[in-house]
Amino acid sequence: MIFLVIFGLVLMTLLGAPLFTVLTGAAMAGFTMLGIDLSVVAIEFYRIADTPILVALPLFTFTGYLLAESKAAARLVGLTRAFLGWMPGGLAIVAFVVCALFTAFTGASGVTIVAMGALLYPALKQDGYEENFSLGLVTTSGSLGLLLPPSLPLILYGIIAQQMDAGADISIEKLFAAGILPALLMILLLSAWSIRANRHNPAPLTRFSFKNCLSALRAAAWEIPLPIFVFAGIYSGYFAVSEAAAVSAMYVLVVEMLVYREVKWSRLPSIIRESMIMVGGILLILGVSLAFTNFLIDAQIPMKLFALCQQCIASKWVFLILLNLFLLMLGTMLDIFSAIVIMVPLMLPIAMEYGIHPVHLGIIFLANMQIGYFTPPVGMNLFIAGYRFNKPIMTIYRATIPFMLVLLLAVIIITYWPGLSLFLIS
Amino acid sequence: MTDSIIRLLQKMEDSILVGLLLAMIGLAVAQIGLRNFFGSGIVWGDSLVRVLVLWTGLLGAMAASRADNHIRIDVIFRYLPPGARQTATLVIHAFTAMICLVMAWHSARFVHMEMADGMTAFAGVPAWVCELIIPVAFLVMGIRYLLFFIRRLAFPGQENPDNPSGSRNSS
Repeated sequence: MIFLVIFGLVLMTLLGAPLFTVLTGAAMAGFTMLGIDLSVVAIEFYRIADTPILVALPLFTFTGYLLAESKAAARLVGLTRAFLGWMPGGLAIVAFVVCALFTAFTGASGVTIVAMGALLYPALKQDGYEENFSLGLVTTSGSLGLLLPPSLPLILYGIIAQQMDAGADISIEKLFAAGILPALLMILLLSAWSIRANRHNPAPLTRFSFKNCLSALRAAAWEIPLPIFVFAGIYSGYFAVSEAAAVSAMYVLVVEMLVYREVKWSRLPSIIRESMIMVGGILLILGVSLAFTNFLIDAQIPMKLFALCQQCIASKWVFLILLNLFLLMLGTMLDIFSAIVIMVPLMLPIAMEYGIHPVHLGIIFLANMQIGYFTPPVGMNLFIAGYRFNKPIMTIYRATIPFMLVLLLAVIIITYWPGLSLFLIS
Repeated sequence: MTDSIIRLLQKMEDSILVGLLLAMIGLAVAQIGLRNFFGSGIVWGDSLVRVLVLWTGLLGAMAASRADNHIRIDVIFRYLPPGARQTATLVIHAFTAMICLVMAWHSARFVHMEMADGMTAFAGVPAWVCELIIPVAFLVMGIRYLLFFIRRLAFPGQENPDNPSGSRNSS
């Protein structure tokens, strides 16, 4: 009977059933077996209204969608280009930096490729970068920045880990601090590789000029404070994450609608609707997974899984290798939010038994998932890039692989050097 | 006739969504302002903001099911031949409708129990009112998927407003 239910649910998942229905089905089947009244699923779902930090989710998502709709992307590129564009390989570095910042605010939902790619891809080609290099760069950058605040996946990981009682060791603020150095490492490695790959290119056309910098600064004057007060507010402890989200949402609303006036008021309802559809999809999965997680704990499944693991996997390092492989594969099939919500409750207790810090696990998890976004054959960003730049998918594969290898190196360093993630929080 | 009713309902859904989000932003910012400048916020403000998160989330989920735009794994579906796709879509719509309706039923029972308990959530608002959105949202989603299913069954060739890639990223 149990196997029949599991088989049915797996089949539904593979056929493409919405994930929340599969999780609800699993939770309901589980609680039925334990003889618990099924209204528990609704009770668990209502815990969404009991989690203060969750306010950050709709607010930051809305902020990101509104920013993506305005010309903020163009101003950000202009600004970074004025400051870094004169260096050899400078435009590539510009691309990594702006994409990382943009993704941190908008989430790696393909928005970066669509909005930033439109600006950066022609600029890169114009500056003499090879076509394939430019394509690969833009595709890869679509998920860079997942580890920087206020990245939603990081927040979601924190919420789940707290639900799992990972102890006082974990908070969103700590996760935000832990993500910085690994994110910088990724940008650094990618930049170094780009400079090397383009060492035969002619020097960039842009020269450094104070006048350019000044006018770029002036153009983006209203948007520059945003990342500053989000980062500074959260790290200094002046703002709680949810407060930073509220202030950002209000600030961006005022700046884009009243100061820059690039977004029409008549567009606002559909921006809100689009962003809330995204939030709704995530919250739905989160809500039913709270119930599912509760069932897993009641049935002591993580403990049983750990006992099983222990028989085959002796050391922490072997566990980490398998974890990397598994997450890379998972990342190609599952979007990051569902992956966190479904896998973290299973993995976190096991990883902690192996002596892995919950914050470090979060960084490993996201870093791996980030690569999954553009791992052939089915990484989501590959398809978005193919569609956006009108290129055959095989071209995108070939263009992206070198960048993937560089980031793989970064992920290996991040995984096997816990200090890199934990340095800023200890 | 039915079309205009549906459009009216969708308009309503949208306006409530917009109203709730703007209220959430306004209230959350007001709380911060009050706390920093006057040393105290509205006592029930934070609770209300949290309930608003639940409501906007579920209304967003309802809007997502309008175009069958939920998070899913579509790796295999993408490579199915058209005939198999048709069958798979039928099965999935039926399954989704069933789960949503069962969930609606059990959450309605939960709300009913809470009504009997008479607990208040904040500022005299009964808890069951805040929870009411759960059965309503699942009921609406269930009905929507039931209609998808029936339409697929009746007009097999026709594409419904369905988004087979199921991606949230096309926006």
